[in-house]
Amino acid sequence: MSEDLQQIVLWLIPAAPLVAAIVTAVLGPKLLRYKSHLPCWSALAVSFVCSLILLLKILPSVEQAAPPEEVGVAISQTATGPQVIASGFEWFNVGSLHANIELRADSITAIMLTMVTGVSLLVAMFGSGYMSHDPGYPRFFAAVSLFVFSMCMLVLSGSFILLFVFWEAVGLCSYLLIGFWFQKPSAAAAAKKAFVVNRIGDFGLIMGIFLIWKHFGSLDFVTVLGNAARIAEVDAQNPGVIQLICFCLFLGAMGKSAQFPLQVWLPDAMEGPTPVSALIHAATMVTAGVYLVARCTPLFVMAPHAQMAVSGIGAATAAIAALIALTQTDLKRVLAYSTVSQLGFMFMALGCGAASAELVTPAVTAGMFHLFTHAFFKALLFLAAGSVMHAMGDVIDMRRFSGLKHALPITHWTFLVGAAALAGVPLLAGFWSKDDILAVLQEASRSETHGLYFGVIRVIAIGAAFLTAFYTFRAYFMTFWGPEKFPEEAGHHPHEVTPIMAWPLRTLAVCAAGIGLLVGPTHLFGDYLQKTMGLTPEHEHHLHWGVMLMSSIIAVAGIGFAWMFYVASPTIPAAIARTMKPFYVISQGKFFLDEIFMGLIVFPLLGIAKLATLVDKYFIDGIVDTVGKVPKALSIIPRQLHGGVVSSYASVMWVGVVTAVVLVLTMF
Amino acid sequence: MTPEEQRFLLVGAGLFVLGAIGFVTRRNLILMVLSAELMLHGVSLTLVTFGRMHQTNEGQAFTIFTLTVAACEAGLALSLVLSLYRKSHSLDIRLWSELRESDMSGPALDSSGDRGKLSSYEDIPTLTPAGIVPQNPPRAAAAENVPTSNRI
Amino acid sequence: MMMWIQAHPLTLVGLVLWAIGILWLIPGKKASKPRPHMLGVLIVAVGLVTFCLSCGKAQSELADDVMFWVFAIGALMSGVLMITARNPVYAALWFALATLSTCGLFLLQHAPFLAAATIIVYAGAVIVTFLFVIMLAQQSGAAGYDQRSSQSLLATISAFVLLGAISLTLQSEKIDIARPVVAAESQAATGGMSILSLNVSAEPVDIVPLLPGNLMSKADAKHPVGDLQGLGKSLFGDYLFAVELAGTLLLVASIGAIAIAPRREQGAI
Repeated sequence: MSEDLQQIVLWLIPAAPLVAAIVTAVLGPKLLRYKSHLPCWSALAVSFVCSLILLLKILPSVEQAAPPEEVGVAISQTATGPQVIASGFEWFNVGSLHANIELRADSITAIMLTMVTGVSLLVAMFGSGYMSHDPGYPRFFAAVSLFVFSMCMLVLSGSFILLFVFWEAVGLCSYLLIGFWFQKPSAAAAAKKAFVVNRIGDFGLIMGIFLIWKHFGSLDFVTVLGNAARIAEVDAQNPGVIQLICFCLFLGAMGKSAQFPLQVWLPDAMEGPTPVSALIHAATMVTAGVYLVARCTPLFVMAPHAQMAVSGIGAATAAIAALIALTQTDLKRVLAYSTVSQLGFMFMALGCGAASAELVTPAVTAGMFHLFTHAFFKALLFLAAGSVMHAMGDVIDMRRFSGLKHALPITHWTFLVGAAALAGVPLLAGFWSKDDILAVLQEASRSETHGLYFGVIRVIAIGAAFLTAFYTFRAYFMTFWGPEKFPEEAGHHPHEVTPIMAWPLRTLAVCAAGIGLLVGPTHLFGDYLQKTMGLTPEHEHHLHWGVMLMSSIIAVAGIGFAWMFYVASPTIPAAIARTMKPFYVISQGKFFLDEIFMGLIVFPLLGIAKLATLVDKYFIDGIVDTVGKVPKALSIIPRQLHGGVVSSYASVMWVGVVTAVVLVLTMF
Repeated sequence: MTPEEQRFLLVGAGLFVLGAIGFVTRRNLILMVLSAELMLHGVSLTLVTFGRMHQTNEGQAFTIFTLTVAACEAGLALSLVLSLYRKSHSLDIRLWSELRESDMSGPALDSSGDRGKLSSYEDIPTLTPAGIVPQNPPRAAAAENVPTSNRI
Repeated sequence: MMMWIQAHPLTLVGLVLWAIGILWLIPGKKASKPRPHMLGVLIVAVGLVTFCLSCGKAQSELADDVMFWVFAIGALMSGVLMITARNPVYAALWFALATLSTCGLFLLQHAPFLAAATIIVYAGAVIVTFLFVIMLAQQSGAAGYDQRSSQSLLATISAFVLLGAISLTLQSEKIDIARPVVAAESQAATGGMSILSLNVSAEPVDIVPLLPGNLMSKADAKHPVGDLQGLGKSLFGDYLFAVELAGTLLLVASIGAIAIAPRREQGAI
């Protein structure tokens, strides 16, 4: 494929959704109305096809074109791996900072792009059915297109500065879509909360970028990340600075990927339309943090403490989110907490490189693989939950409906596939990726230096995996099994999804079932990803039979417990809740994190703000008002001249003329 | 300077000064315009005298230009006065005080009671009606119904 | 200044009387009964006569002198009565009289064309238009604002301070101007220190360099000042462009007056 064609394909990926967003925003409200999905669909299809071309055709051809001896040999030189750069135009040029709008695609980008555009396309199709009859139909598709554009640019950006811009753009789209039903106070509050919490993370990210700029003198990925020797040099010159950079970047990732303690915004974000939850808060946007950490692997390699923090935070998040999910009764919230928990898994894996240098590549591979499979089955689960919600008349409380498996057969089967994949049932997508993560953790726990630390994390991971299986199937059983019960809002005749909503569900179900088997054990994914800059391709592949066996047992045990509790003898949960009342309350109350934040941060800040208001009102304003009164006092006499009477103006002028003339005349 | 020229110049100055007094003190729009014309007369006389002193016709040529400008000014001033009169039904310059500071009270106006009472003349000439009597009530009658203070 | 007062006490007395007369006649700040009218007229007349007498006596014929007195006192008296009139119609008529008197002064200053033109333009056109407007505007009778005036004291005092200063300057011995010497004119420049003159010369010279001026406007023996041919040469020679401009100005002003004045619907041109 020629160079020009490559560039066009690369530019088409973000450009198509941008054009769709503009067209929908301009024409949507008046002209397109309930056909607003068409530009979005076509743009996403174009993006998806271009991403596939990039993934399957362009990058392999680039790799072949590169001289073989250069790939991953000389560590002192800039090793970029196969990459395609589409040059754009100069954005600004200040001092030695040259910000160019240009796209850079390598393996990890291609994988992310394919996933983002593919899932987005399916979600957009589902959304056109789900959102039909909503007055904000054009707005929805404009925002979705804009979101896909931002996300594509985020993963395609070749420098930290562009990444930050679209990091913020993605946050903006998230705000727009969470607050889609802005008439609802809860939705508006949730959107604000997501935005504010993300600001904390963004603060860390931009601090990290400043530090990189200060110490590397460049923000280009290739310059900063591509040269391991340079990183080592910087680290030697400024001990600890790489650690600091990594902590800052990870703070950004924590905000965007909802890691403890910044995970509070994600469950509230379920106020948005369900396709949005599927798209942004499960499949794509929240993975930006994981992507950032994976992208910056060359930096994190030099910062083992930061990596351990990544793992630790991931483990804590996974455990806390899983425990909270146990007692939630809102179907979407269960899924939201499972998302937080799975993101925790990804970070757990990403941090394992601290144990030993050889583990870095498998760790990143495992994390990214989980991200990849998670996108499919979590989008599937959310869309299925959305179709439940659609059928139940927007009721999402699991206590108010049950036994839906006959009423909603397609939803039931697809949800089951997604739940099984999430729980880690063997051969499904989640099984392979979770297995990879557990294997990496097992390897890490054998390390001499940090063995104990990663041992603990591994135990937490196994526990969280068990809980995952349990709460997922708790939700499944509560929703689809048991006696048939519909809420009043559903009109007692729940209707199955329309074909336009059913086909994305089926497609995603097939993906969730098969994609792990297709690319996981065959190492297609790993081999492809490891060509990314900063990763070293590994050539030995072995399946971890022991880990697989263990995770199978865990998954089955979790499902079994869920069946026992919620199908076989439904009295058990209540009994347990009674006996372990405090724990139940803590879990039900989401560990009271919102309340703790409220008390620790919000209320003191409000107090300070009140104080500042008082100072502003009585002190500052007083000074300003006093200053303002001075000219007024001075003008009391002269303003009498300005009474609006023409005669008085004339007489003032006349007196002036007389004075001037008399002065001149008497000078003789 | 001969006494001859001196006295003409003094008369010119006197006319100018009288016009200025009239312009400043009178409140009638038309009288203000007339006073300005009187000032122009003073200037014209001075110009003519200067021209004679210098043995040149430039003074008179200038005066002709002054005359032209005065004619233009009178025409425009009268049409402006007419349109102002149509809005307020009065020729009082004090009614037009929009330029004042917004928080200042307007200039003192006549109270409605003393309108004809203090007048030393009652038989002010008016235009005699001519032509066919219009079907609609004439404007003057309609104008009288509008109180003058409405405009302020 | 003191010297001037000593030298011209009559001027000062005339000015003061004149000012008092105006203040007597002019309507007050508050509407009040008019003061005795004839008394004010008398004061002004006395003041004016005193002032004009103090202006100095020209070495001209008696007839010229008398005509000057008549016209000067007529113009100034009409001016005073015009600005103090309580009836705008009378004010317009007094203005017409002042205009006529001024035209008489123009005639005395060898400006016959100007006198004629002024009479035609002012008395023939302007005054009539003013009268029409006044009558149109005052159909309901006398207006209160004509019975009042504003800031009459301030305006009168400052005006007469100016007039006094001008008199002082004109009557001072020091002032003189460059006086062109034309063959027909025998008046020679008086001696003394000259401030405005460019040639300090007591001797009459045949050809004197003049103040910078336009050549075609010069008067000579054949065409003395005010001669119609000389005036035409000046206007259409030196001031041709200005004449054209003045014509355009008249056109623009008449279009403007037509556009502004008529009563029409809101928003229509």
